[in-house]
Amino acid sequence: MAIIDIVDLSYTYPHTNQPALRTINLSIEEGSFVALIGANGAGKSTLCYTITGFVPHFFQGEFHGTVTIAGKDLKSSELKDMVTTASLVFQKPQNQISGTKFTVFDEVAFGLENLGVPREEMIKRIERALELTGIAHLAERSPYALSGGQQQRLAFASMLAMDTPILVLDEPTSQLDPIGSREVFEVVERLTDEGKTVIMAEHKLEWIAAFADRVVVLDEGSILLDGTPDEVLTSSLLVENDIGSTRYTSVARAAQEQALAPQNANLPISLEQAERFFKQA
Amino acid sequence: MNETIGLYIDRDSPLHRLNPLTKVVFTICIVILGFISPWAWITFAIPVLILIPMSFWGQIGVPYLRALLKIVVPLALILLVMQSLFLPGETTWFRFWFLSVEYESVERSLTLVSRLVSMTASFILFLFSTHPSRLMTDLTRRGVSPIVTYLFISTIQLIPLMRTKANTIMDAQRARGLETEGNIVTRSKALMPMLAPLVFGSLVDVEERAIAIEARAFRVPGKRTHLTIVPDSQAQHLFRIALIVLTVVLIGVRLWLSLTS
Repeated sequence: MAIIDIVDLSYTYPHTNQPALRTINLSIEEGSFVALIGANGAGKSTLCYTITGFVPHFFQGEFHGTVTIAGKDLKSSELKDMVTTASLVFQKPQNQISGTKFTVFDEVAFGLENLGVPREEMIKRIERALELTGIAHLAERSPYALSGGQQQRLAFASMLAMDTPILVLDEPTSQLDPIGSREVFEVVERLTDEGKTVIMAEHKLEWIAAFADRVVVLDEGSILLDGTPDEVLTSSLLVENDIGSTRYTSVARAAQEQALAPQNANLPISLEQAERFFKQA
Repeated sequence: MNETIGLYIDRDSPLHRLNPLTKVVFTICIVILGFISPWAWITFAIPVLILIPMSFWGQIGVPYLRALLKIVVPLALILLVMQSLFLPGETTWFRFWFLSVEYESVERSLTLVSRLVSMTASFILFLFSTHPSRLMTDLTRRGVSPIVTYLFISTIQLIPLMRTKANTIMDAQRARGLETEGNIVTRSKALMPMLAPLVFGSLVDVEERAIAIEARAFRVPGKRTHLTIVPDSQAQHLFRIALIVLTVVLIGVRLWLSLTS
């Protein structure tokens, strides 16, 4: 069942002439992990803001089309209706700290207090979110005394605790090391197994290849490609549009170009696939 | 990393454990008492006989005395000298060149300074012993708007953040060859390249901060809950009422004394 349904969406930010999104049609199934990729300025963040209701309710601007999120029509709903449906983690972790709390534990509680979650339930949710994001040992530290990566985990934990059916993550691993990035993807996998729907804008294609169910490529506000990681990440359109490809795909493609590998073999997107590909070669 | 939160000094003392509202009421009553007292010596006695012993009860006696000596005493002395020299009066005590000190001006400046001392001393004690988060949690629970809480606490948190950001910008501009040291002209020239990124950067941050708190249901209507429970007691409730009643009575007495004299 589709939890997100976008039909003919076009959106232009106020005081600009160029649309940030152009005739987007997208339907996302409940419990799936969809990765959004594209060059900077392709419209990934704008699409993330749309799914969470900030477009058009916060940014205003020119909005056309129909967007239905968990059965709610976006245009006729208010932003306050959307925050219990879809939560958002964005790039700059320091700007996501509420600024009203003095410990990590209290910071995660901020959204739950606003929603009126009972205290016992609140503590359970916070402990779980801190555990999942690997920052339980930092619970008593000030949010401002954390490193960028730790703050990004805190932003993620704060959203996890809100327990919304949809999670939208806009480059949540931009400040994380490879181990931290892997942990975020593993948490996302666990959440989708529990039935959550995750939409993640991300540049790290190897992780997307390993974890995502579906990849949507945006280019200048339009959908360029939409399909499984195997279909999308091996497409030559990614290279042509300066989005790049996984290191495995790049090496295999180079091998094919040098006639070192069979031309009809499927390009790999993971280490295991690359191993099979080069064994054939 | 050393974390400082406003002026708060973390201790596990009976003063720290008092409900923040009790301390708010106490501080306001002390300030009012200083203002309505007809004699400066009573106002001066408040810090000495009440606030300083309380600071030791709160295990913050030494830093409190240090703050009084560093902030309050110099300010009080400057004000006392300036006011005594320049306020007009009739009974001259002594005259030196064009400066003269009159009995009335000294009396008035002592009253003013005593009020200032008792007011700042009580606010410092309050800020040293009250965690801003506990204060705001308690006030929000009692019906103060969360927007007020947000403005108050985020300002406390953002000041050190802005300072760090300003230092980073300064270092970045220096690395690009900007002269930030030297005479007043050189320093003035360096001001714009430092201020502009700080101000514009902060304006961009404001939008993201707004999205961040909106995303966490800040404006969702309905009853809020609280993770932290700030304890209060019947005894403290009665103490607050007694303080308020006493202050009102003293204001009445002061008005009556003024009218009859």
